[in-house]
Amino acid sequence: MSLLALEDVRVTFGHRVALDGVSLAVEVGERLVLLGPSGCGKTTVLRLLAGLAVPDRGRVLIGGRLAAAEGRLLVEPEQRGLGMVFQDLALWPHLSVAGNLELGLRARGTPRTDRRRRVRAMLELVELGELAGARPGELSGGQQQRVALARALVLEPEALLLDEPLSSLDLELARRLRTEILRLQERLGFTLVHVTHDPEEADQMATRTLRMDRGRLAG
Amino acid sequence: MSPVRRAVLGSAVLLLVVAGLLPVAGMILRSLTAGGHLGFEAYRGLLGSARQWSLAGNSLLLAALTTVAALLLGVPAGVLVGRTDLPGRRLLAALLAMPLLLPPYLNAVAWMAAGSASGPVARVLGEGAARTLSHWLFGLPGCVLVLSTAFMPLIMLLVAAALRGVPPRLEEAGLLAAPWRTVLLRISLPLAAPAILLGAALVFLLALGDVTVPPSFRYPVFAVESLSQFSAFYDLSAATAAAMPLAAITAAVLGLEALVSRWTGAGTAGRGREPGPPPTVPLGRFRLPAAVTAWSVAGLLVGAPLLILVLRAGGPASYAAALGQAGGSLVRGLLLAAVGGTLLAAEGFLLAVLGVERPRGAGAAADATALFLFAVPGAVMGVGLIVLWNHPWANLIYATPLILLLGYLARSTAVTLRICRATLELVPPGLVEAGRVAGIGWGRRLVWILAPAAWRGLAAAWLAGAVFCLRDVGMTLLVHPPGWDTLPVRIMTLAANGAPELIAALCVLLVAATVIPVGLLAGLVGRMEAGS
Ligand SMILES: Nc1ncnc2c1ncn2[C@@H]1O[C@H](COP(=O)(O)OP(=O)(O)O)[C@@H](O)[C@H]1O
Ligand SMILES: [Mg+2]
Repeated sequence: MSLLALEDVRVTFGHRVALDGVSLAVEVGERLVLLGPSGCGKTTVLRLLAGLAVPDRGRVLIGGRLAAAEGRLLVEPEQRGLGMVFQDLALWPHLSVAGNLELGLRARGTPRTDRRRRVRAMLELVELGELAGARPGELSGGQQQRVALARALVLEPEALLLDEPLSSLDLELARRLRTEILRLQERLGFTLVHVTHDPEEADQMATRTLRMDRGRLAG
Repeated sequence: MSPVRRAVLGSAVLLLVVAGLLPVAGMILRSLTAGGHLGFEAYRGLLGSARQWSLAGNSLLLAALTTVAALLLGVPAGVLVGRTDLPGRRLLAALLAMPLLLPPYLNAVAWMAAGSASGPVARVLGEGAARTLSHWLFGLPGCVLVLSTAFMPLIMLLVAAALRGVPPRLEEAGLLAAPWRTVLLRISLPLAAPAILLGAALVFLLALGDVTVPPSFRYPVFAVESLSQFSAFYDLSAATAAAMPLAAITAAVLGLEALVSRWTGAGTAGRGREPGPPPTVPLGRFRLPAAVTAWSVAGLLVGAPLLILVLRAGGPASYAAALGQAGGSLVRGLLLAAVGGTLLAAEGFLLAVLGVERPRGAGAAADATALFLFAVPGAVMGVGLIVLWNHPWANLIYATPLILLLGYLARSTAVTLRICRATLELVPPGLVEAGRVAGIGWGRRLVWILAPAAWRGLAAAWLAGAVFCLRDVGMTLLVHPPGWDTLPVRIMTLAANGAPELIAALCVLLVAATVIPVGLLAGLVGRMEAGS
C-alpha cells in the first residue's frame, strides 16, 4: 500500500484545467521529485495531497484511506498528519521562531515541558538554536526557509511536502540547504515529496523523478 | 465542516438576524395588523394625506442635495488624502473624518449658536451679519450643510481605501502614456466607482433617515414628523406604517447599488493583495493651492463649529454645570460604547471570516444584511425594537441596557464587518493553510493565527464600533430604558430648554469624550506599528 496516492485526478479553476488525468503513488521512505516548468500544476498536486484542494474528478488516498473524491473533502488537512513547506513559507509573523514551531504541538495537546524540549531539539537540528526568540521578519531568507522546514518537521509527519522551498535563495545557499534536507531525511526517516522546476535540484534530491507538463504527468 | 465552526459562525449570523432582521419583520407584521386584523388601515391614513407626501418630498430633496454636496466634497478629499503628497494629509483626513464620529446635530447646535444674537458672528461682524447667517441657514441649507459635513467622510474614506487598492500595475501601464491627472481620472477613479456609488447610496439613506438635524433648523421632514412623532406618542401602528417606506427605500437603494456595481463589473478595486502602499501622486504646482483649499474647507466645516462651541460654552462654570447635569449620562454612554464596541468587533470579525470563507453564499448574505441594517434609519430600528421586545416576557431585554446593545449590533455591524474584512483580505491565505496542515483546528486557527494577524483591523473595528455606539441618537432616543440615556440623547432632551452655554459645554464634552480616546488609541497603534 502506498503512503500517498492520486488516482486519475482532475482539478479545474473556472475554465482553466490545472491538472488532468494525474495518477501517482508515493511509497514510504522514498524521495519523489516532481519536476516541471512554472504553471504546470506542481503546487496543485501538493495542495491535493495536503487537503487544501479537492479534485473535481478522481480520488486522493492517504495511507490507503480515501481522503477526497469527486469534489468532496473526506479527511481535513488538519487530520492528515502531513508536513508542508509552502512556496511563500507562510511563517506566522506575530509569533517568534519557537512560537511558530510550538503552535502545532499545542493544538495537539502536547504537554508544555515536552513541547519546549522538542522545539529546542528541532531548532538545534536546523542550527537555529540562537534565534528561538526572533521574529520571522528579522531573519534572512535562508534562516526563514529553515524555520519553515523545522515547523513542519517538529510535528514528526509521515511525509513532508516541499513546494520549491529553495527557489528564492542564491545557488550556494540552496545547495547547502538541499544537503541539510537530505541529512534531516536520513536522520528522521520521513517520506519526501519535493517540487521544483530546477533539474539540478531534482538530481540531487530524488530517489525517483516524475516530470510534469501542462497539468499532466509526462513520460 | 467542523462543528465548532458551524456553531460559532451560526451564532454570529443568528445574532444579526435576531438583533436586526426580526425587529424589521415584526414591524412589517404590526403595520399590517393595525386594529387587530389583517389590512392596510395604517397605511391608508398615511398615503391619503397630502401633508405626508409633501414631507416625503422635503426628505427626498434633502437627501439628494446632501448626497451631491457630500460627493463634491468627499471624492476630491478621498483622492487628496488617499493618494497625493498633500501637506499634512493624515491630519487632514483625521480632521475631516471627525464629524462622522460625532452625532450630526452637534454641528447644527454650533451653527445655530454662530448665528444667534449674542453669538460670535454678531460680536465680530455685527448683528446684521449674524441675522443674515441664521436666515440663510434656517431650513434646507442648514440641514444640507450639517448633514453633508457629517456624512462626507464615508465617501472620503471609501474612495481613499479604494484608490489604495487599485493594482499599481494598472496605473503604471497608464503612466507610460499619460500624466497622473489623466491616469487618476481615467483609470483609478473609474476603478473606484463601486466605492463612490456605495458611499453615495449610504449618504443618501443616512440623510433621509436623520431625525436630529432637521428639527434644529425647523425643516419638516418625513422621518421626524411622522415616525418620531408617532412613536413618541406610542401610536405604534402608525409609526410602523411610517417606518415601512423608509425601510423599503433603504432596501431599494442598496439593491440598486448592488445591481449597478455588478453591471459595471468593477469589483477589483479595494481588494489589492499586492504588498506595500501604492505610489504617491505628486501634486506638483497644484500642491500649495490644493493644500490651502483643502485646509480652508476643513477649517470651515469642522474647525469653525468646534471653535464656536468652545467659545459659546465659556468658562469652567459651564463645564461644571454640564458635568453635574449629564455626568452620569456621559459615563453610561462610554460604558455602553466600550461593551458595544467589543460585541461589534467580535460580531464583525466573525462575519468577516464567514465572508472570506464563503464570499458568494452566506458571507455575501450577511454582508448585505448588515449593510441594510446600517442604512435603515435609527428611528425605524428603534420602532422595530419596541414592537418586538416591548412585552412583559421580554423585560429582561427591554427594560435593561441589553435592548441598546441589540440595537447597536443591528445598526453598526456593517462598520466593523467591513473593517475586519478589509484587514482579513490582506492576510496571506498561506498563514491559515499552514495552520490547517499543522493540525490546528478551525477555532484555534481563528484565535491563534487569524486574529493576531489581523489585530490592527480588530483594534480599528473595536474603536469604530464603540464610536458608532456612542454617537447613536435616533435609535437610543426611542428605546433607552429608564436611567440609561446616553450623553448625546441627554443633550437632545436638554437642547429644547437648556441654557445655550450649558448645551455648548455638553457638546464640547461629547467631542472630547470621543476624540481623546480615539486619538490616544490611534496614536498607540501607530507607535506599536512603528516599533514592529
Ligand atoms: N487559485 C487559483 N485560481 C485560478 N487558477 C489557479 C489557481 N491556482 C492555480 N491556478 C492555475 O493552475 C495552474 C497550475 O498552477 P500551479 O499548481 O500553481 O503550478 P506550479 O506550482 O507548477 O507553478 C496554473 O495555470 C495556475 O494559473
Ligand atoms: Mg507552484
